[in-house]
Amino acid sequence: MNYAMALDYQNCINCKACEVACKEENGVQLGADKQRIWIGVVEGTIFGKPFANLYPSQCNHCLDAPCVSVCPTNASHFADGGIVKVDAHKCILCKGCMEACPYDARFVDDTMVAVDKCTFCDHRIGEEGTTACQATCPTKVRMFGDLDDENSDLVKLLKTKRFFFQKEYTNTLPKLFYILPDDEAYAKQSVSHNTIIHTWADIKPLYDEARTRRSKEWRK
Amino acid sequence: MKVEISRRRFLQGSVALSVAGGSALGTTNILADSKEKPKNTLVKKVPTICEMCVNKCAAIATVKNGIVTKLDPNPYFPKSRNMLCARGAAGVHALYDPDRLKYPLIRTGQRGDGQYKRATWDEAFEYIKEKMVKILDEEKDNRSCIGYCAGEGLAEHTYKTFMADKFGSSNFLNHSTICLQTAVSGYTLTIGGYGQADLENAKYVIMAGANRAEAILTPDTMDLFKRTRGRGAKLVVVDPRFTNTAMHADTFVGIKPGTDLAFVLALTYVAIVDQVYNRNYVAKNFVDFDKYKKHILDSEYTPEWAEKITGVSADVICKIAHDFMAAAPQAIYYQGRRSTWAKNDFQLRRAMALFTALGGGIDVKGGIVFGHKLALGEHTTTAPMYANAKPRIEKNAAAIIGATGSWVAWRNMVAEGKTPYPIRGMFVYKQNPMLSVPDTARTKKMFEKMDLVVVIDTMPSDTAMLADVILPECTYLEREDPVQAYASIEPAIIIREKVIEPMYESKPVNDIMRGLAEKLSKPLWEITKKHDEDVQSELETTPEDEFYEENGFNLAEPFMHPQEETNKHMVVSKHGEEAWNILREKGVYYPNMLTYFKKINNNTYECYPKDKKYYSVLKLEEAFDATAFLHDTCVNPADIADLKRSFNTPNKKVECYLGSMEAKGIDAMPKWREEDHVKVPAGKFKFISGRHAQFTQNATQNNIMLLELMRENYAWINDKEAEKLGIKFGDLIEITSSVGKIRIKAYPTAKIVTETLFFIHGFGAKSEALTFAHRNGASDNEIIEGTIEPVFGCSVMHDTLVSVRKV
Repeated sequence: MNYAMALDYQNCINCKACEVACKEENGVQLGADKQRIWIGVVEGTIFGKPFANLYPSQCNHCLDAPCVSVCPTNASHFADGGIVKVDAHKCILCKGCMEACPYDARFVDDTMVAVDKCTFCDHRIGEEGTTACQATCPTKVRMFGDLDDENSDLVKLLKTKRFFFQKEYTNTLPKLFYILPDDEAYAKQSVSHNTIIHTWADIKPLYDEARTRRSKEWRK
Repeated sequence: MKVEISRRRFLQGSVALSVAGGSALGTTNILADSKEKPKNTLVKKVPTICEMCVNKCAAIATVKNGIVTKLDPNPYFPKSRNMLCARGAAGVHALYDPDRLKYPLIRTGQRGDGQYKRATWDEAFEYIKEKMVKILDEEKDNRSCIGYCAGEGLAEHTYKTFMADKFGSSNFLNHSTICLQTAVSGYTLTIGGYGQADLENAKYVIMAGANRAEAILTPDTMDLFKRTRGRGAKLVVVDPRFTNTAMHADTFVGIKPGTDLAFVLALTYVAIVDQVYNRNYVAKNFVDFDKYKKHILDSEYTPEWAEKITGVSADVICKIAHDFMAAAPQAIYYQGRRSTWAKNDFQLRRAMALFTALGGGIDVKGGIVFGHKLALGEHTTTAPMYANAKPRIEKNAAAIIGATGSWVAWRNMVAEGKTPYPIRGMFVYKQNPMLSVPDTARTKKMFEKMDLVVVIDTMPSDTAMLADVILPECTYLEREDPVQAYASIEPAIIIREKVIEPMYESKPVNDIMRGLAEKLSKPLWEITKKHDEDVQSELETTPEDEFYEENGFNLAEPFMHPQEETNKHMVVSKHGEEAWNILREKGVYYPNMLTYFKKINNNTYECYPKDKKYYSVLKLEEAFDATAFLHDTCVNPADIADLKRSFNTPNKKVECYLGSMEAKGIDAMPKWREEDHVKVPAGKFKFISGRHAQFTQNATQNNIMLLELMRENYAWINDKEAEKLGIKFGDLIEITSSVGKIRIKAYPTAKIVTETLFFIHGFGAKSEALTFAHRNGASDNEIIEGTIEPVFGCSVMHDTLVSVRKV
């Protein structure tokens, strides 16, 4: 198992159903700044006309996760399927992982006195087959799945689409695949000039290599 | 169900009742069992129906050791498309809201000061009884001296059955006239129904004012935004604000508030002059089109004319009209579900319906469709006739005052003491008029004039704080509600099962009605005997007990059966025992569900096969090859639209000219009346209101989960105008209208047109019993004027002029 998620971000309407479902499912600490999952908003005007793009996001569960590397107590670790998790009992709140994460995907849970983050809902994916955020989404932005399984909904989707990553330059091999719109005009509107566009064929060897290398650390 | 109040007893018959109440039996289904559930944890999955807004999405509640821990979407209900929005997912916090009404309360202080004492249900009912007996005796059994209102919901009908059919008041108010009455009626009188926009298949959609990304409607929101941005559906958004819907638009058109009618009339003008409308369809399916065409042309509703009024350039109007007709019949001028904007709202909705119909996009795949509704059994109850009950007070306030009244006209008459007979009391169920009806000061004045105000709710709202007696209803997760069938392309029956037992001393509304009815029946019967001459003469020949029971004066009679028993009868009588079992297990039922329903992937489920959906349902009046037409994708959709069909209107056609309206002083055809158009003087702003996806009006205002997403509302003001006034983001500003003033933080933005001020409805509660909602932001209805449009007496929401100053 190598869990990942594709995001058809142009479906997003910023309704924040995912944020609420995540909090209810996982008992995340209340507070507007305590989010395992969020919707990035880029808005402004071009020649006086307003525009906005939405990038729903969460932990990328990177194959080369810097948060895991920096953790002095092994609290941050890879769980089965490559899911990056925090062992609250081992966390000493040094916050090194929060500094290391390029996506600002971690925060302090004051009730647990530990760093908290997205777990890809690993307690429910066996039974429900998907995460709370995907299940609840009104416009079905997300597709959770297993990169190892050629027949998974996720891989089938990635094989037919082009995609990109957020902050690819940090070389962490993130696993949130942002599906590029097929329509060229809309594709151009939502990515920057230097965003690298990928296909499944070009990315697969790189991700396979990293999986082989790092999966020894994955706890069963 | 319709009951005439003061008819003689011999006219009395049984009244069909689709709902009757009672306490539900606590049986719940276990849909699925966790394989790895922790030891000593009893996990149950119970199907329910969300009540966080009006959409009725199907959900599955997870209950662990008696605690509801999570709500997930139930994919079986086609309308809700396997999703729960932020509010739906936050339903758990409506159930466990610490501020919930927990037991009956009786007022001890002055009205409005929030001083209440805890009471038993019997004490509360006793208090109500004593007041009611006194009032009705003084008013000589005029049942209509007690008004009542209700918010929308599956149990609304149960409450109405008591207040209207059994108690016998004609003064009913609900959300219609502060909501979508003009839209629904405009479409119904024009094309025979409000219909559903088939956004799964439409190719061109004009969404004017409707904001489907923020005012979520199933399945429209789910269908549309998977197809925008170059994926099949061209979207034109016409709005004074750049909304989250506009973000998905191919074309965004900023329009001046209150000018939409001019925009639609100009589109119509272009379509007619350039002859791009579907002439074949119009010839077969329109009545009085010649009159309409002549009216449009003679009035010279040119794009240039509209540009001056709307602020939308003539070129854009021409292009939209042509693009729309090129995509027709799979082109929709989206109906919307909004409140009334300006005085011309009814005419606007008519013009919108006619414009869509000009392209042939009615009752056809990809257009506005009517769908099919599954039958449900009925129950009957006997409505007693009260000779002294008078008709509703505001029946002459507008051309057509329907069974749900005119909230604002009714309120104004009571507040100003101009009623034909005294209105002495009011029952309020699941509605919060102090926040939801324009001109709050006058609503307060209305309540202050009453001798008895009873509020039935789950939360201590601003309105509850004006009540003499507060009765705690349980939330939707604690009760079984009447089973419901939904008309749709993919019709289904849904059921809200009880997830957990009612908490504290709260009760479902049918139990409340039964308790109240048992308390009131005999004492009120004595009043009727004293004042009702019809009853007195009947009693000369009929024994009293027999007369009382047979003529429906036992008010508790419809509420004696458990809700589950009633629901079972309603389903089994039409669909059989097997259907009932499926419905209880899955929460949803439609014929062949277990064979039709397919999982495509984790995001997509197919509820009906493509060829089993109800796209075209109207009777066709000419022969056609069914096999070729119905489901063959090779057939040109325009040819299907062209068929002559039988619309549900008086002429069986699309109605251009409403002669019956003319007799009531209403324009028979959509007409721009310059004198009705509120212009914005220099230095002033027009105030508009609206919704967003995280709160439902004011009903969810105290939900801590949702408050994390938006703590308070901000006033949108055009950034350039804000700069001139020295207003920056977060500055406190004071907004003043003729009826009130509020203070709110400012949000200067390029996303709103000039001369316009906006903030979201539903904030600004003053009830101190709402810990989290108390005084967050501002309430729009404190500044919106209480005026009505002339057709249905709907509240005009967007014609209030305001001035702004930095505090």
